[in-house]
Amino acid sequence: MTKMTVVNGLQSEIYVPITPKPVWAQVEKELKEMRVALATAAGVHLKTDKRFNLAGDFTFRKIPGDTPTNELMVSHGGYDQADVNKDINCMFPIDRLRELAESGFIKEVAPTHIGFMGGGGDQKKFNEYTGPEVAKILKEEQVDAVLLTAG
Amino acid sequence: MIVQRAIESAGIPTIIIAALPPVVRQSGSPRAVAPIVPMGANAGEPNNIEMQTGIIKDTLEQLIQIPSAGKIVSLNYEYNAEV
Repeated sequence: MTKMTVVNGLQSEIYVPITPKPVWAQVEKELKEMRVALATAAGVHLKTDKRFNLAGDFTFRKIPGDTPTNELMVSHGGYDQADVNKDINCMFPIDRLRELAESGFIKEVAPTHIGFMGGGGDQKKFNEYTGPEVAKILKEEQVDAVLLTAG
Repeated sequence: MIVQRAIESAGIPTIIIAALPPVVRQSGSPRAVAPIVPMGANAGEPNNIEMQTGIIKDTLEQLIQIPSAGKIVSLNYEYNAEV
């Protein structure tokens, strides 16, 4: 982040939010030509996988695109999980995405989807490790678009 | 949003379904939609296949339609969780 301090200890009375600079990838294909992946900060993972540390966790879990929803669960320290425990599609709409692939609305469901625990954790690690690692996996699997939830 | 921005920076277009649009705006999400949903059910009411399908289809269409970074599009779906 830019160093904004001119006089040490002096703080503006006016709250000025600093938003990061824009990022943009051009859409090159029609939806019906796209391989689509989900990425969710809602703490979704395989039941057989390691739980997230509810106090803060920068790691992520891979979720195969053909996983039945009854093999998925949530561990997250920051929101009411009543709805997602009834139907994980509330936050991880994988059944809906599979249906859209079957109907031809999109070309296909990506082989790997990503679950992580947003809303906290080590932001530096998210910037330097989690974000780039997740992007690398999706890029290697030639994903054309990513739909995220949470936030 | 850090992860969304990282994926977008790698050249893959992204869109987020947000329950908290101001947070999304502040953290620099390139594309976002905002149905009226609580945290915990961004993609719609549990077991409401029609609502979830509508939200996902509209979201994917906005991936194509949003013209420039930072736009948040309201979606006309509402789910009030009974707590």
